[in-house]
Amino acid sequence: MLDPMMEQLLPGFVDESKEIVDRVTEHLIELEKARDEARFDDLARGLHTLKGSAATLGLSDLSELAHRMEDALLPLRNKPVALPGALTDALLKTLDVWMEHLRATTVKSELPDLEPSKELLASVQRAIEVVETPRSASNASNRPKRERREKPPERKKDSVPSPAAEQAAFAEDASSWRVHTREVVALLHEVERLREVRLRLEERRRELGKALQQLSSLGMLAQTAEPRALVIGVHRALSSDGDEAADIVSTMEEQLKTICTLPVRTVLEPLRRSIRDMCKQSGKLARLSVVGGEMSLDRRVLEALRGPLVALVRNAVDHGLEMPEVREARGKHREGSIVVRVEQQGNMLFIEVADDGNGLDVAGIKQAARDLSLAAPDELEAMTPTQLHQLIFRNGFSTRQTVTEISGRGIGMDVVRSHIQALQGHIEVESAAGQGTRFTLSLPAEMGSSPVLVVRSGEHHIGIPMPAIETSLLARPDALRVSRGRVQLSYREQLIPVQDVGALLGLRHAEVPHDGQPLLVVHSQARRFAVAVDEVIGDRELAVRPLPPEVRDLPAYQGAATLARGDLVLIVRPDWLCAVERRDGTLTGTRRALVVDDSLTARALHRTALEAGGYSVHTASSARQALEQLRHSSYDVMVSDIGMEEMDGFDLTREARRRAELEAMPIILVSARDSDQDRQRGAAAGADGFLSKKDCASGRLLAEVHAVIARRQGTA
Amino acid sequence: MKVEPRFPEAMTEQQVELLERRAARLREKPAANTDEAMVWVAEFPIGDESYALPLDGLRAAVPLKMVTPVPLSPPHVIGILRFQGQVLTAMSLASLLGGRGWREDPAVLLVVDPGMGGRLVAIDCEHIPKPVPLPVSQVEAARARSTGAVADVTLPGMQQINLVDLRRLLDRRTSEKRNA
Repeated sequence: MLDPMMEQLLPGFVDESKEIVDRVTEHLIELEKARDEARFDDLARGLHTLKGSAATLGLSDLSELAHRMEDALLPLRNKPVALPGALTDALLKTLDVWMEHLRATTVKSELPDLEPSKELLASVQRAIEVVETPRSASNASNRPKRERREKPPERKKDSVPSPAAEQAAFAEDASSWRVHTREVVALLHEVERLREVRLRLEERRRELGKALQQLSSLGMLAQTAEPRALVIGVHRALSSDGDEAADIVSTMEEQLKTICTLPVRTVLEPLRRSIRDMCKQSGKLARLSVVGGEMSLDRRVLEALRGPLVALVRNAVDHGLEMPEVREARGKHREGSIVVRVEQQGNMLFIEVADDGNGLDVAGIKQAARDLSLAAPDELEAMTPTQLHQLIFRNGFSTRQTVTEISGRGIGMDVVRSHIQALQGHIEVESAAGQGTRFTLSLPAEMGSSPVLVVRSGEHHIGIPMPAIETSLLARPDALRVSRGRVQLSYREQLIPVQDVGALLGLRHAEVPHDGQPLLVVHSQARRFAVAVDEVIGDRELAVRPLPPEVRDLPAYQGAATLARGDLVLIVRPDWLCAVERRDGTLTGTRRALVVDDSLTARALHRTALEAGGYSVHTASSARQALEQLRHSSYDVMVSDIGMEEMDGFDLTREARRRAELEAMPIILVSARDSDQDRQRGAAAGADGFLSKKDCASGRLLAEVHAVIARRQGTA
Repeated sequence: MKVEPRFPEAMTEQQVELLERRAARLREKPAANTDEAMVWVAEFPIGDESYALPLDGLRAAVPLKMVTPVPLSPPHVIGILRFQGQVLTAMSLASLLGGRGWREDPAVLLVVDPGMGGRLVAIDCEHIPKPVPLPVSQVEAARARSTGAVADVTLPGMQQINLVDLRRLLDRRTSEKRNA
């Protein structure tokens, strides 16, 4: 029975022990491969700390078990050999039981029996002594065995800690608090809001600066001197308040980051043990290399990643790596390599799990897909290797005929994918036969911000992650090559494709960049591309958040970020920009329509109706934008709202009719009011048809479009 | 109880009498079906038709601005917006309903919890909705009759309210997308 005061310290001790056990485990695995005195010493210190701390808390059984582990280990100090496999096994197993016992003590559940572990250690110790005796008989016989052992800490049966130890424990307890995750998460959200308030403050300061400039340009300086001085004072104060707010937000973010993050290695290091055990079981040889393990990540993300990473690494050993002799025959190193690479770009996290084994078994995947009726045989035959690889993520998929302890239950990759999707991430697989398999996980990291270049295309603002941007330059006709509808840029003695970002996003037709138009050279996945934009707004540090589920599947976007004024900007994926095998930016439908309306809903509704009728639709939110689009592209029909600001639908129609190339384009005007006067004005301006919005809602838009096109063709 | 005006000297007798009449009317219990359970809905027009959403799912009504259009999105998506730190999808209800009822351009976005694990969405409507009680029995009967996402509730006086089950409407959209 533990002292209630000591009981309160148990959860903290579990955390501390877990850290020590992880460290000790890593040392054991490495010492089994090669001797390293520094590691051995740290391993011994770890066991000693476990023993001492357990004793302080009155956990005599655990203290004694740690002591037995020391007994088994310490005779090998200063011996120029690697740790025997049997001893490593025994110590690892005993550490598992030790932790299990500690956790059971904490939650007051049934305690595991420690005797088998003690017996295991004793038998291994005896075996080692038998081997050692002939070589060191003289030394060993000089000293009684118990003398070589370190004495266990002396204590009374009920193990009352010393006042000094008690005081130390209290001091430790007072220096740290246990806080519920949701409280920290709520605080995180508040800091995020504060950051947005800070950005708005900056925007207000800029607006005030502009107002001051305008005031100065108006003259009347004498009359406005006093209020101007006041406003200048407010402007300065706002600047200094803004700077202070920025400092506070940064400090709070940094401090919260410290609280909320852990190094990735805390999840990855225990995998070494898992790999070692699997190799022992299967006879394979494998080495795990971790790149980027020191990177700190959000604890919640890490915790959620633990399962998928374990599954991927276990699969790499079980399915990926070959037996040593097979590897040798194939000219590979006997020991297979598993590499986990962690990289954070802005607040996007990329994790690669790669092995140099067999690669995915395409024939096995086909067979399993046939057995599970995932696709018709002819469909399977028509699939590319990449498409076949995707089948491994299907529910219940497994190429294993038998269920083993490691795999073959068919709950692997689909579960991994659903875990990653739950984190709003993606998983991709690449595999080459005989060379290996690489899984790439990309997911948003909860905290932090990314450098983003904000650009404008038409009326849309778009963000492009800065790390993907190689350079920006202005288009010059002599640097562009146009052939067979393709535009290429001569860049560093190479020709790279040029795409208009508006055309890629389906906002307008692709066109050759005009002289002086900004071009961004973007690189991703070993591809380089020039992207034409209308304006480079500037670089910003933005917190990129995932898109909501209704639009999350769109491959074009990485997420969205909040700009200073509180509006959102979409962040495009560089790999999507660089995927050349898609589109040329032109509309794919047989007929093309331009919808002009300043109402988002109206544009959505017209688009719904026209796309249902087989039209490809571009939209414009103002008459001016429509005229710009009409200058570069041709459409089979234009549907325009009448009541728009700046230029209404009548003026737009008149303007279009003034252009010879638009004379024959059918135009339908749409109005919220159904008035004869508007009909007559529309006809006088040159419109071919007129509909009220109510008419559109009752499904007449498509019929009217067909009718005006037919009339035009009839009169042509 | 007698109504005591706060500033009696500033009120005429007629005004005091009017206030008393109003207070008495407010104190009256509804004449019919006093025991009938009611469910409150947020009622709003789309064109000539009246639509409603369960009031307990309504989180806010915000002006239809600061919506960022999402190029390449499905037609019923009008964009994304920020609401209390979350990024929400704004959708056209008229488009989700197949273009039904639209007469004038919506000016309001309703932020709604459709009962999908706390996830919020925004839908557009022409005006700020008003709260209306509907008899539970009629709502249940209409829902039982309906096979789709809209249940027609007919009130006394033949007034018809189309009660939208947003979750069902979005689920249908998702399954259409999956089958596409």
